[in-house]
Amino acid sequence: MKEKFTKFLVLLFSLATLTTYAQQKKITGTVTSKADGTPLPAVTVTVKGSSLGTQTDGDGKFSISVPENATLSFSYIGFKAKEVSVGASQTINVSLDADERLLNEVVVTALGIQRDAKALGYSAPQLKGEELTKSREANVINSLAGKVAGVRVSSQSGTLGGSSKIIIRGESGLGGSSQPLFVIDGMPIDNGAQQISTVAGAVPQGSAGADFGNRVGDINPEDIETMTVLKGAAATALYGARAKSGAIVISTKKGVKGNASVTFNSSVRMDDILKMPEFQNEYAQGVQGTYNIASTNGWGPKISDVQDKTFPNFLAQDVHLKAYDNNIKDFFQTGKTYINSLAFSGGNETGDYRFSYANISQTGIIPNQKYSKNNITLNAGKTIGKDFNIRTILNYANSGGDGRPVQSSNNPNVIMPLIYGVPRTVDMELLRNNSINPETGQQITLTPARNGNNPFWVIDNNNFSNDLNRFYGNAILSYKILNWLTVANNLGLDYYNEFRQGNTRNGTIGALTGNFFTANIFNRSFNNDFIATADTKITNDLSLKVIGGANVFENYYQRNQSDAQTLTVDQLYNFSNAATVTTTNTSNKWRMVGLYGDIGLSYKDYLFLNVTGRNDWSSTLPAENRSYFYPSVSSSFVFTELMPSNKWLNYGKLRASWANVGSGTDPYQLAFVYGPQSTAFAQYGYGSQFPFNGLLAFSIPSVIPNFNLKPQNQITTEIGADLRFLNNRVKLDVTYYNSKTDDQIIALTLPQSTGFTSKKMNAGSVTNKGFEVALGLVPVKTNRFDWNFDLNFSQNKQTTQLPSEVTAYTLQSGWSGLIVKTRSNESFGIFGSAWERDPNGNIVIDPATGLRKTKLDQRLGSINPDWMLGINNSINFKSFNLSFLIDVRQGGVVYSNTASSLRTSGLAKETLANRGNIFIDKGVVLQGTEYVPNTVPVQSMQDFWGQFSTTNTEANIFDASYVKLREVKFSYKIPSSILGKSAKFMKELEIGVEGRNLWIISDHVPHVDPEVNFFGPGSAADGIEFNSAPSTRSFGFNLRVKI
Amino acid sequence: MKKRLIYAFCGVLTCAITLQSCEKFLDINKNPNAAENVDPKLLFSYASTSYINLRSSGDLYIPMALGGQSITTGGNNPTGWGIPSEEQYQFSTFSYGNTWRAYYTSVGANLKQAISLAESATPKNNNAAAQCKVLLALVVYEATTVYGDVPFTEAWNTGISYPKFDAQQTVLNGSIALIDEALAQFDDASALKISDYDMFFKGDLAKWKRLAKSVKLRTLMTMVDKDPTKATQIGQMVTEGGLVSSAADNFKVGYQAVTGKKNPKFAINEQYNGGRNFFFGSKYVVDFMRNLSDPRLPKFFTKPVEATDYFGIEPGADGDDKHDVRISNTLQAADAPEVIFTYQEELFYEAEIYTRGLGVGADLTKASTLYKKAVEESCKFNGVDGTTASTFANGLPNLSTVPAPMALINMHHWVDKMDRGLDAFTQWRRSGPEGQEIPNLSLPIGAPAGKLFRRYEYPTTNEISSNPNAPKELVKYNEKMWFDL
Repeated sequence: MKEKFTKFLVLLFSLATLTTYAQQKKITGTVTSKADGTPLPAVTVTVKGSSLGTQTDGDGKFSISVPENATLSFSYIGFKAKEVSVGASQTINVSLDADERLLNEVVVTALGIQRDAKALGYSAPQLKGEELTKSREANVINSLAGKVAGVRVSSQSGTLGGSSKIIIRGESGLGGSSQPLFVIDGMPIDNGAQQISTVAGAVPQGSAGADFGNRVGDINPEDIETMTVLKGAAATALYGARAKSGAIVISTKKGVKGNASVTFNSSVRMDDILKMPEFQNEYAQGVQGTYNIASTNGWGPKISDVQDKTFPNFLAQDVHLKAYDNNIKDFFQTGKTYINSLAFSGGNETGDYRFSYANISQTGIIPNQKYSKNNITLNAGKTIGKDFNIRTILNYANSGGDGRPVQSSNNPNVIMPLIYGVPRTVDMELLRNNSINPETGQQITLTPARNGNNPFWVIDNNNFSNDLNRFYGNAILSYKILNWLTVANNLGLDYYNEFRQGNTRNGTIGALTGNFFTANIFNRSFNNDFIATADTKITNDLSLKVIGGANVFENYYQRNQSDAQTLTVDQLYNFSNAATVTTTNTSNKWRMVGLYGDIGLSYKDYLFLNVTGRNDWSSTLPAENRSYFYPSVSSSFVFTELMPSNKWLNYGKLRASWANVGSGTDPYQLAFVYGPQSTAFAQYGYGSQFPFNGLLAFSIPSVIPNFNLKPQNQITTEIGADLRFLNNRVKLDVTYYNSKTDDQIIALTLPQSTGFTSKKMNAGSVTNKGFEVALGLVPVKTNRFDWNFDLNFSQNKQTTQLPSEVTAYTLQSGWSGLIVKTRSNESFGIFGSAWERDPNGNIVIDPATGLRKTKLDQRLGSINPDWMLGINNSINFKSFNLSFLIDVRQGGVVYSNTASSLRTSGLAKETLANRGNIFIDKGVVLQGTEYVPNTVPVQSMQDFWGQFSTTNTEANIFDASYVKLREVKFSYKIPSSILGKSAKFMKELEIGVEGRNLWIISDHVPHVDPEVNFFGPGSAADGIEFNSAPSTRSFGFNLRVKI
Repeated sequence: MKKRLIYAFCGVLTCAITLQSCEKFLDINKNPNAAENVDPKLLFSYASTSYINLRSSGDLYIPMALGGQSITTGGNNPTGWGIPSEEQYQFSTFSYGNTWRAYYTSVGANLKQAISLAESATPKNNNAAAQCKVLLALVVYEATTVYGDVPFTEAWNTGISYPKFDAQQTVLNGSIALIDEALAQFDDASALKISDYDMFFKGDLAKWKRLAKSVKLRTLMTMVDKDPTKATQIGQMVTEGGLVSSAADNFKVGYQAVTGKKNPKFAINEQYNGGRNFFFGSKYVVDFMRNLSDPRLPKFFTKPVEATDYFGIEPGADGDDKHDVRISNTLQAADAPEVIFTYQEELFYEAEIYTRGLGVGADLTKASTLYKKAVEESCKFNGVDGTTASTFANGLPNLSTVPAPMALINMHHWVDKMDRGLDAFTQWRRSGPEGQEIPNLSLPIGAPAGKLFRRYEYPTTNEISSNPNAPKELVKYNEKMWFDL
C-alpha cells in the first residue's frame, strides 16, 4: 500500500517512474550520515591501493567501476573515514559516523549554496527544523526568539495570525524597517505586512488598525529542514540589495532514500492572557467622587461609602454598587490551538519526494477571534541520467482569521479600551448577556453616549476578517556539463491574493448608520537565478570554486478597496445596500536585474578565501544612477589544523570579512505627481467624499520627490572566532561586527509649514557595532544522561549620523506628541513631552494647580536593548527530554497607552493611593529665581492621574527590560521495547508537553507585556503599545508518530 | 548532441537575460495611479473642501466653540458631549496637529501650487491665481489667529526646509498683501478662471473682488487695536466701497444631504449620538437673545417641549433635557453650508468703524442703521422671514441711546457668529482688552484655575519637533497673542 502511494505521488507530479541502474562490475550506492540518515554530497570514494576514485553527488549517490575484491574507502570532512570490501553485491550503501573532533556542519548560504561551515568567513548560525518546532508557533519568526545571537524578534500584538518583526544586528535603515530577506529553497519570498486605511477610520497619522499578519507567517514550520541566519553583508552579498538587512535562508525537508515514511504530529494547546492589568476594586465610575453612568472610569464614589444608596446601572436598573473583582478577567476565554501535520516522504537512488499537509486552527482569548492556516507542500527531486537534476517545490497556503481585534484609535471598534474601560461595578456576565435589546434589536450600550459601545456588541457584530490564498514554488534544473562545471537555473514564483473585510454594524456608536470595507490585495513576485559553478583543484592542496550568476526579479502589487457607508438593511454587507461606496485602487511594479560572481579558494582544508561581486540595476532609481556594483571578501583560517592534536582545544577557526552592499528604493519616488483624492479629511472620521458638490479633486504629494536619488550604501566588517574545547564539550563562538549604512534614502520629515510632510533625499548614516557570543556547554554526558547548555549573548550599539542641518530625523510619528526619531550620535529613541525638571532633576510643579509642568519634545530613551541573552537548556535522560529557553532583554524603553488609559481613568490599582487625602506631589516650585520644595497639594487624585494622559509621554514610558520563560518542552520518546510488536511498523513515537511564553519572570511595565511593537514589521519604530491586543501564554500537549 | 543541447540551453538563457536587462525592461517607474499634470482648479477644489471640513469639524469647530463658550457641552448630561472636554480646556493634540496640517498642507500648499500652475500656464491664468490667493489670504489670517506667530514669509517654499516663525503682525500684513496682489491680478477681460470648480462663486469675479476687500477690512479690524495706524486704511476702504454688499456675496459652501458629503457638524451627531445634537446653548448667547425675544432663537436652538422658554446653560454645567436648549439640528442640518464670510459680518464691521470713528468721522446714526441692518441680515440669513427680521432689527435701541454702543455691537456680532467657532472666538478676543471682552466670560465649570482660553498650542508632531526654527518654549492655550489686548 505504501509503495503504491509512493508511486502514485511521484507519478502525480510528472516524475519518471523510479528505476535503478545495474551494470557489471559497477558499484552504486548512497552515502548517508549515520546520525540522521541524510545523504552526504561530495564524499570522496576511492578504491584502496589504486588511483581510481569518484565523489558522491548532491544526493549522496555514487557510481564507480571497480575490480573484483576491491576495497572502497569513503572519506568526508567531519566524518570518520570508512572502508568497505566489495562483495557480490552491486550496491553498497554506507553510513558514516560523525567525527566529533571536527566541525561537520554544512551550512546553506546565499543562493542555496551549501558550504562547509569551516570555510565561512562570516557568522551564519543554522537552526535545525526541530529547534523551530520545539514549542510550535503559527508564525515561524516567533520561534527564533532567543535562539540566535543578534536576532531580535517582536510581535506586533497578541492577534491570532498577527505579525512579527525580526531585526538582525540592529535597525540599519532610516527610511523604513530593516527586515531580512526570506529565501526558501533559493526563492526569495514576500514578507509584506500590508497596511490599509479606511474611509471610516481615516486618521491623518500612522494607523495600524487590525493586525493582518506578515506573509512569512504563511510558511509551515514543519516543512523546515534548516534555517540559516545570514547576518552580515558578506554573507548576503550575493543576494544584493534586497538582503541588506540580512537574510533568513530556509531549506525545506526532502524525502530520503529508503523506505517511505509517514510522520504525523499533533499538538493541542490552551492559551490565556499573559499579563492581566491590575485593577482597583474600591471605586465606582464618575467624576471627582460623584457617580456618573456616562463615565467609563473609576473616579466615582468609594463603593463602600455609598451602600445606603442605589444608582442606575447600564440597564437603567437602580442597584447597590458592588465591585466585580474579576470582571475583566471574565471577559476573556481560554484560547485553543490545534496544530496537526502529516507528511509522506521517501525516495530511492534517482528520486525523492516529500508531501506534507499541515493545519493550524486557533480560537482567541477574545471571544469570536479565530485563525486557521492550511499548508500543502510537495518537494520532489529526480536525477535523470547521470548529470541532470530537476527539483520542484510547490507550496500552497491558505490562511485567514475572523474577529481580528482593531487596535490604535479613531475607530469605534478599537476593542481593548472598551474591555479595560469597563467600570469595576459592571458584572461582565450581565454585560455579555445584554449587548442587544431583544425587542428593538438595538445595542444596549455601556454608557449613553459617544464612548459607550458595549464590547460584546463590537465583538459579536463587527467582524474584521481576512482570507489569503498563496502559492509559491520554484523549479530548479541543474546540469553537470563537465566534471568541474555545473549550470543551474532556479525559477520561482510567489503569488498571493488576500481579501480583507471589516464590518461595522448599524447601531455601533461612532458609526450608527453602519459601514464596511473590503480590500483585495494582490501581490506577485517572480525570480529567476541562472548560476554556473566551476569547481576544480588547481594543485593537490589548492582548490578553486567559481560561481557566476544572473538574476531577474519583478514584483507587482495591486490593491482595490471599497468603503461603503450608511447601510439600509441591518447586517447586509453588500455594496448595493450602502448609500455611498468609495472605491480606490493602487498598484506598483518594480524590477531588478543583477549579475554576480563568487571566487572561492581553499588551501589544504584550513585556509579559505572568498571574493564576491554583484552589480544590480534597479528600476526604482533614476536611469543614470540605477546601476551599482558592490564587492565582498571573506576569509577563514582553521588554525588548529596546523597545531598538534590536543585535548584542550580541538578546533579553532578565525574568520574575517569585509563587504559592501547597495540598495535602491521603493517605486515611484522620483516624480512630482498629483494624486486623485477620494476624501477630504474631517475629524471623527466623517469627512467629505469626492465628487463633492459634483467636483473631483487632486492633491500635491505629501512627500517632495527627489529626481536625483542614488543607491544607499552599506559597508560591513566582521571578525570572529569559533573555538571548541575538551572534545567539543565546550564551544565558543565570538563575533565582532561594524556595519555602516550611508547615503540612506530617507523621507526627511519636514515641518508641515513647508506644505509637505517630508522630502526624499540621500542623507545620513546608521552604524551598528556589536559583539555576539554563543557559548555551548555539555556539562554532563553519559550514555543515559546528557545536559546541553547553550547561551547566546548579543550587544549592539547603534548610532546615527545626520547632515549638520538636520537636527533630528523622524522614523515614525505616533500620537499626542509621541515620536520615534533619532539625532546625530544617538540611537533611535522615543521622544515626546516630559516632566519639566530643575537643574537637580527634581520635577517642577505649577504652584497654581499643584500639578507637574511639562516640556515638549524630549528624548525619553532608546528603543533598542543594551543587550540580549538567550539561555537554552536541553536535558536528556534515557528517552526523556526536557528543554527550556529563557529570553532576557536588558535596556531600552517602551511606551504604554494601556497603562496611560488605566491610570488616567482611575481603574488601575495604583490610583487608589491618596484618594480623599491631601496629596502634595514631590517636586519643586519656582519662586523668583529659586526652586523650593513644593507645598501645593493637587486638587484631586483624578487631576493628578490626569497628568498621565497621552499628552505627557514620559508618564507612560517604562524600562523595556524583561526576563521571560519563552519555551518549555518535556517529551518522552517511547522506546521500541515498550512498543513491542508495534515497533515493526512504527519508527518513532513521541509524546510531550510544551509551553510558550509561560512566564514573565521579571519586567518593569505595569499592566502589559513589555514586548510590544505596535507599528509592526513595516516600521523602523519599536517599543510602542497602543491599545494592542494582549499577548498570550500557551500550554499543551504534543504527539508525534513516524511510521 | 549533448553539447549542442548545452549550447542551446546556455544561449537561450543568455539571450533572455541580456534582452531583459536592457534599459527598457527597467523603465517602468512611472506611477500609473497619479497625474504628472493637472489643471489648477482640481487642486482648488481639494483645498476648498479640506478648508471647509476643517472649519466645521471636530478639530476646529468643536474646540473653538466650546473653548470660546459660544456653545456648551451639557456637562454630565448622558447625551451631551461629556466632560471634561475642550470646554474644560482639555484640547486634543489631534486638534492642534490636524488644524495646522490642514492650513499648511492640504489647503495652503495646494493653493500655493495652484497659484504656481496658473501663473506658469500659457496663457497665464491670472484669475485662477487671484482666486487662490484670496482663499490663501483667509487661510493665513486664520492660521495666525489660531496659533499666533506662525511661519509665513518662508512657508510653502520647497527650497526652505525649516521656515522661520513670523510675528503675527508680519503674518497679518502678509495676508493683506496677498489680497492686494489678487486684487491687482483679477482680469475681467480674460475668460480664463476657475468657474465650474469654484464652489463659492462659480467664477463670479465681481463677487470675488468684493469678498477680497471685505476680508482685507476684517484683517485690518483685527489689527487696529494693537496697531492704530491701520485706522487710516480702514477709513479709506469703507469710503471707497466695493465691499461685500448683499447676502448674494456671502462666502460659503453647501454640504450635501448625502452620506459621505454631509456637514461634519451633523454627521458627528448622526454617527455618535443617534442624531441628537450633542451641544447645548450657552447662557451667554441664549440669555441675551431671550431678553430680546430674538426671532433667531428657534432657528438656533431646539427648546424642550417641557420648557417655558429658551434657556442656556453655563459652560460646564449639566444640561437638563426638560429645561435647557440644544443647538438646532436645522441650523446644523446635513446640508447646512459652512459659512466663511457674510454680509451681516461686513455690516457689523462698518457699524463698528462708524461708532469708533476708525479713519472716518464717528457717526452713531450711521452706525445704528448699519448694526440694525446687520442684525436684520443675520435674522434673514438664519431663516427668519423678512418682515419679522426687519421689525425685530428696527426695534433694537439706537446706539446713541445706549451707554456702551460698542459693547452692544460686539454682542450682536458675537451672537451672529454663535455657530462659527473660530470666528466667534476671534470676534470675542478683539472685542476689548483682557477682562473687558464682550461678553464677559467666566472660567467654565471644571476648567483648571487660571486664565481663559486664548489660542491653540503649537503642534509638536507636525511642526515643533521637526523645525529647529520653531519656538521651543511651550506657549500655553491661555496666553494672549499680539492682536489680543
